[in-house]
Amino acid sequence: MSEDNLTPREGGGDRDPILEADALPHRGRKPFVLHEWLREKLALIGRMTRHQARFFLIMLGASWGVIYESFRSHSWRRTVRYEFGVTLNSVVGGGLIATLFSGTLTGVAAVSQTIYWLGLAGLAKMTGSILINVVIREIAPILVGILLLGRNGMLSVTELGLLTTGGQVRSMQAQGLDPFLLLVMPRTLAFTLGGFTLGILFSFAALLTGYVISRISGVITNPVWTFFYDVVVAMSPADYLIIPLKFITVGFVVGLGGCLTGLTATNEDNLRTLLPRGFSRGLLIVMAVSVLFSLDL
Amino acid sequence: MDIRTVGPLLELNKAVPSFEESGLPPVPFSMRVMPGECVVVEARDPENATQFADMCSGLVPLDEGSVKFMGLDWTELHDREVNALRGRIGRITHRASWPTFLGTHLAITLQQLHHTNRPMDEVVAEAARLSEQFGLPGLPVLRPGLLSSADLLRAGCVRAFMGRPRLLLLEDPLEASPVELERAFLSALTDARDKGAGVIWLVRNNAIWQGYQQGVTSMWRLADDGLVAVRTG
Repeated sequence: MSEDNLTPREGGGDRDPILEADALPHRGRKPFVLHEWLREKLALIGRMTRHQARFFLIMLGASWGVIYESFRSHSWRRTVRYEFGVTLNSVVGGGLIATLFSGTLTGVAAVSQTIYWLGLAGLAKMTGSILINVVIREIAPILVGILLLGRNGMLSVTELGLLTTGGQVRSMQAQGLDPFLLLVMPRTLAFTLGGFTLGILFSFAALLTGYVISRISGVITNPVWTFFYDVVVAMSPADYLIIPLKFITVGFVVGLGGCLTGLTATNEDNLRTLLPRGFSRGLLIVMAVSVLFSLDL
Repeated sequence: MDIRTVGPLLELNKAVPSFEESGLPPVPFSMRVMPGECVVVEARDPENATQFADMCSGLVPLDEGSVKFMGLDWTELHDREVNALRGRIGRITHRASWPTFLGTHLAITLQQLHHTNRPMDEVVAEAARLSEQFGLPGLPVLRPGLLSSADLLRAGCVRAFMGRPRLLLLEDPLEASPVELERAFLSALTDARDKGAGVIWLVRNNAIWQGYQQGVTSMWRLADDGLVAVRTG
């Protein structure tokens, strides 16, 4: 300690060494250095880009993880099978009525109108292909995706989010229970299977209702099997691949997105931040998948 | 995975926990727990006790040193091996540990059902037997949120002693517990030790373990400068 510091300071003296030291960095401004400034701006852009792409990259990695683990027999322990069964029951059993009802409404609103207006325009031969391209390929996956997201996806977001922020996920890890294996994989695969099942049921309900309405109103006189035959004939070979693939993919991404949104919650999150985030992400994912499959296919 | 069946069950060898990840003091921790031993660790802060138990389970990253369980260093194992080893640890924790979407019966048996091939009937029978031993009328099937805190504590004890745990990490289950739980707990503890389990019993208050003083192998205190050995008796 120097002698200067040992000298007693008079009350109300002119210099306070502590305050002086605190004020020192503010006294002089740093000189402008171009490459420092550029580096800071680039770092900012990088941080923002990484932040925005973070969830997308997590989704990509986790998608591969789910597919990879699902083919390993060791992954399918009885606890994992149980979670798969419970989630599948909840997705298909719980969403069945809502899906059939939505399909019926779509049949009334879209299918019967399509049949009516195409008949009026003398384009009745195009009915099958229009229904396949518009209702089954475009509308059905989006509506089924939204139903999945609203009924079960948001449930996964909430459940896993609360487990993560509450510390239960950490406790599961302490017991050797991997949340990815125990929760994410079976739930995602149940959503996948559920998406396909509900998509096919939705399409069938929409077409059948559309036919019934058109038949009652006298727009068409064909028997039901002729109507369905026309629809099936209008399908191209690619449709047999793309339509199921679209339902499967929508279910997969909705399930995975919901689980990951929940598992990536931080201590600062609560239901007010988790639910809007989960819903907007889920909706974006469904739309992105729909658009992706519509790109020149 | 070559598991050692002799030698220390748990070995903290100058393990320095990451302060950012755990909040534990970043000083070397050294301790050994042999099969059948019961080590009492006095930790005044429950959060530190939980983090210390996490460190023993290989959940806390280390800046230096190593933590070995059954002769295996946590950091040198793959995820599957780590999870399989953790399946051999029975734990009672202050941290929320009951998944809200499962019934209590499933949460109790989950670890056994996940890590073993034991028949379901056998697992359920053991869970029911332990439930009665700890003072429950049977295996609770209600959701954890519907159980009283005393019953949840009993269920936590059942879960920790299920199967044949090799290591028990017990975060003060007797604090604020019903009086009749003490006898059942100490009895289960002795049984587990007889079968070769090592026990780390984390306590806040020294008075709690005095009834089991003769069974305690060693006593430590979790302080700001790490683990300090305390003379017993």
